[in-house]
Amino acid sequence: MLKIDNLVCGYGRMQVLENVSLEIGAESVGLFGPNGAGKSTLISATMGMIKPWKGSIEFNGESLLGKETYQMARLGIALVPQERELFPGMSVEDNLMLGAAYIPHAQAKSEQQIEKVFTLFPILKERRKQYAGTMSGGQQRMVAIARALMSDPKLLILDEPSLGLQPSIVAEVFDVLKELKKTVSILVTEQNVRESLKAIDRGCVLENGKIVLEDSADGLKTNPYVLKSYLGL
Amino acid sequence: MAHSKKAIPWIIAGAVGVIGIFLWKPTVLVYGVQRAGLYASIALPMSLTSGILHIVNLAHGELLMVSAYITYTLALLLGLDPLLALIPTMLVMAIVGFILYELTIRKALKGPELNQLILTFGIGIALSQIITLIYTNQTRKLHLDYVSASMTIGETSFGIWDFTFVALSILMTIGIRMFLSRTKLGKAAVAVGQNPKGASIVGIDVQKTYAMVFTISVVLVGIAGSFFLTRQSLFPSVGSPFTMKSFSLIAMAGVGSISGVLYCSLALGIAEAIINGIPHMSGWSDIVFFLIIIITIAVRAKKTRKI
Ligand SMILES: Nc1ncnc2c1ncn2[C@@H]1O[C@H](COP(=O)(O)OP(=O)(O)OP(=O)(O)O)[C@@H](O)[C@H]1O
Ligand SMILES: [Mg+2]
Repeated sequence: MLKIDNLVCGYGRMQVLENVSLEIGAESVGLFGPNGAGKSTLISATMGMIKPWKGSIEFNGESLLGKETYQMARLGIALVPQERELFPGMSVEDNLMLGAAYIPHAQAKSEQQIEKVFTLFPILKERRKQYAGTMSGGQQRMVAIARALMSDPKLLILDEPSLGLQPSIVAEVFDVLKELKKTVSILVTEQNVRESLKAIDRGCVLENGKIVLEDSADGLKTNPYVLKSYLGL
Repeated sequence: MAHSKKAIPWIIAGAVGVIGIFLWKPTVLVYGVQRAGLYASIALPMSLTSGILHIVNLAHGELLMVSAYITYTLALLLGLDPLLALIPTMLVMAIVGFILYELTIRKALKGPELNQLILTFGIGIALSQIITLIYTNQTRKLHLDYVSASMTIGETSFGIWDFTFVALSILMTIGIRMFLSRTKLGKAAVAVGQNPKGASIVGIDVQKTYAMVFTISVVLVGIAGSFFLTRQSLFPSVGSPFTMKSFSLIAMAGVGSISGVLYCSLALGIAEAIINGIPHMSGWSDIVFFLIIIITIAVRAKKTRKI
């Protein structure tokens, strides 16, 4: 589905990613790493928000290089950004409907899709008329995930979905992801390795712009390096 | 609406004031409303750009002037009434707007605000210089019979043509609001105005939206320009005071508030007409205009700070 090959990129003259290769099929992949490792940068490059210096990115055999972010969305890649990027002055419902309105294959079935999304996040149904900007941080994160799902994506990318959420909500979010991975490919970056392991099939560790480790979820659970650096054991 | 209760005393005060003015000098009310229509028709398109693209277009008044000259030329060359020449003028203004966006504004949007101000300020100067080169500084005017139509009620008589500006501003308000709430492009524009990055993530072509909104706003100010020509003499700097006035109205109404521009224009138009209605005071009208704006903005800044 998504194939990133030898990607090099950065900001200005500062290089962040060094020959990163990552392939995602019909599965759920976790991307771990410390702050500043380049996780968000990798996502920005995939979404066409920054230009790769070298390497290639393909989605279902089609090169994504030179495409704009909105084109990625229409190809079926939905993003839940680290900063959420909601429309603060619109209701929750309007935010969600916008998730589908400009995606040709999702537009027609947005009414059914929103009902599905409301079953995943009942709180959003209750708060459908509330301005997104007045929701709590955790609720806004749910709106961002729900909005991404409205586009009925082939690939769902989540950048640190558990950031700033209380533990019970974190568990809830990963339960949702676990459910979603049956029908959609997922790439999720996380600090919370422990919780996310239950929602992924495979994981990579990115450090200083390089992928230093790649293994199945079960493999990661027993890997001494992961145990020490990321699970704090 | 949450504001409606708070607004009641204001509405009552406004109504009492209006009745008072009407008893004192009915024409003041008429001219105030007419002036408000003119200001609002010019400021509304600018409000659209500042609300969605978040830039202050300091060439706005010059675009009004350019459109008036284009209408003037078409009217003379083709022997058309300016209100018929309006249609080809809109087309020319759409091209002007689109080219301006693609060649200049687009590149400045990513830059710092100061660059945008300098850029649009420069565009304004360039436009008025180009017009000076072509048409010289000589004033131009079309003489139209219908603009001097007047009406007499009781003992007062007043010009009625300027009510077209009132109609124009109301139509523009309705049009812009329908555009933003009903059309696909308009809804995209609202989303882009609130969060361009979020908009691109949901599949909205942000660049295209910016280009269309800017072009639409230039066409709208072009329409105002054609109407402007029916009433006013043209000279190359005739538009520049309207940049400042429009900008002030938007600052007073709150960026992005379409109906706010209408109300603020009404308040300022009537205030100006009152000043002009007092003998020997007419020179004060601009001072009062900006004084009211400064007070409103200061009061609002204080209110927001409290929250
Ligand atoms: N817009 C930017 N301009 C310049 N440098 C940036 C920009 N965004 C990120 N960086 C730098 O790139 C490096 C990688 O940042 P990135 O946001 O990709 O890290 P991350 O792995 O997502 O970290 P976190 O877990 O904190 O979100 C950091 O050193 C950061 O300072
Ligand atoms: Mg990040």
